[in-house]
Amino acid sequence: MTPRRPSPAAVERLLAAIALRAEAARRLEGSGVGAVLRSVVEATVALFEAEASSIALFDPATGRLVFEVAAGEKGQPVVGLSIAPDQGIAGYVFTTGQALALSDVEHDPRFGREVAAKTAFLPRSIIAVPLLDERGTIGVLEVLDKRTSAALSLRDVELAAVFARQASVAIRASRVERDLATLLASTLRELAADAADAADNRATIEALVARAVASLGEGEDAGPWRLADLVARLRDADPAQVGLVTELLEVLERRAVRSARARRVARGGRAAPAAPEA
Amino acid sequence: MSDLTLPAWSEPFIGDNRSDLTRLRPIPGLDRASVFGDADGTGVRVAIIDSGVEGAHPDVGGRLVASVRVEMGEEDPIVSDDGEGQDVVGHGTACAGIIHALAPAAEIISVRVLGPDNRGKGAVFAAGLEWAIEQGASVVNLSLSSRSDAFFDVFHELADRAYFANVLLVCAANNVPGPSYPSLFASVVSVAAHDLADPWAWFYNPNPPVEFGARGVDVEVAWKGGGRMVATGNSFAAPHIAGLAALIRSRHPDISPFEVKTMLAATAG
Repeated sequence: MTPRRPSPAAVERLLAAIALRAEAARRLEGSGVGAVLRSVVEATVALFEAEASSIALFDPATGRLVFEVAAGEKGQPVVGLSIAPDQGIAGYVFTTGQALALSDVEHDPRFGREVAAKTAFLPRSIIAVPLLDERGTIGVLEVLDKRTSAALSLRDVELAAVFARQASVAIRASRVERDLATLLASTLRELAADAADAADNRATIEALVARAVASLGEGEDAGPWRLADLVARLRDADPAQVGLVTELLEVLERRAVRSARARRVARGGRAAPAAPEA
Repeated sequence: MSDLTLPAWSEPFIGDNRSDLTRLRPIPGLDRASVFGDADGTGVRVAIIDSGVEGAHPDVGGRLVASVRVEMGEEDPIVSDDGEGQDVVGHGTACAGIIHALAPAAEIISVRVLGPDNRGKGAVFAAGLEWAIEQGASVVNLSLSSRSDAFFDVFHELADRAYFANVLLVCAANNVPGPSYPSLFASVVSVAAHDLADPWAWFYNPNPPVEFGARGVDVEVAWKGGGRMVATGNSFAAPHIAGLAALIRSRHPDISPFEVKTMLAATAG
């Protein structure tokens, strides 16, 4: 028995619907990654009692390491700065994937000159650990000037690595979503381009569907699944948190209903005036 | 904090945990006197694949005899002469200083694999390692590794080639679980840090993945610009073992990599 093949229009509608939801999920999550990264550096500063902590991520477009977030009074000026990936301690840790801890840094006045000059902060000690995903190093977490002790231990390095792992997981989740949205967008573009060419349509559609389904099967962390996962996790939240989320969802629902009603009114608006006057 | 389960491959070598390490049964006639004697590294070349080595740094003792840099070309990495030697970070000079302190007569070759271009860094590391093997370095210190599965084959082939060419690879362990090549291969000497201040204290761990623990906490090291620094990390433990291996190869020029490893294990403590 041959399964009934979906029409190109149906496939296109399906893919468009998925793309829309992936994009919606991405927008909902948009500030989420930044918030997680900020909370990671804030927790790092608090736990290490450090002067500053920062996360720099590699930007493939510019080929540079960009300081994305920082915590601690002396950390803020670093945000937005970028360095070459072979420069300084962050560059070394990024390129080699090796965690380092350095103290007595003031022994070398040339150390970190460029960044130090821009931030007017020359740290005495640094812990730097790589942010890793399955493909390699994606960035670096730094802890500057742990106040409690001048000496740094392996335990400090390993604890910093635990925080780096939290950041990596958040970044990975956001990238999976972005990749899914990109894939769907390119698939839709191909579909639109090929629609005019009926001869190859069936094979093209089959390939498109296979690709779309395969990507959904792989993407357990991706957009819609991630939303479902987040909702599922709320089962473990305390009543106050559940209440807050419920209120937020109710606000969203009301807005959605209102905007749907507004659209209906707008559509009917052109035909409606006749009735009251009748 | 102490309740956290940390990804600590140095853990077997830290504090009280060392009492759990199994000692090898003593091999008759193999003690530190017979293994090291009064060796000073004469006749041994140690390659350091890192951020470069500052040849003029006092801690390197003028023993830097060659210096190359590896950079990505149009398609393949290119190895070129690096003049008198420069260090873009300070880390390679730190490793050279540790090795020179243990094996002062050993010659040092610097292979600089950190460049401003992040593209193809696995390929650049591999090309640097291949070059060091072709030069016939007796010992290669690698405080870096690749986490990319795409380079498993490349590094595996190079590790085997090194082994059969009588080149000992000494690799710093990564503190994070997951792939790390070539440091996880059986033919290399993988090293994590212990927290004793003694460069002549090292430990053998028969439980993979990391076989040796050496000094790597609060080590005063050379740094770029003729500077010095106090540093912690597995990448400072590796050159301690590389220095000891240089001494062994200096005293026993004809032995193979597995015999060096055996001697290091037999004299650990």
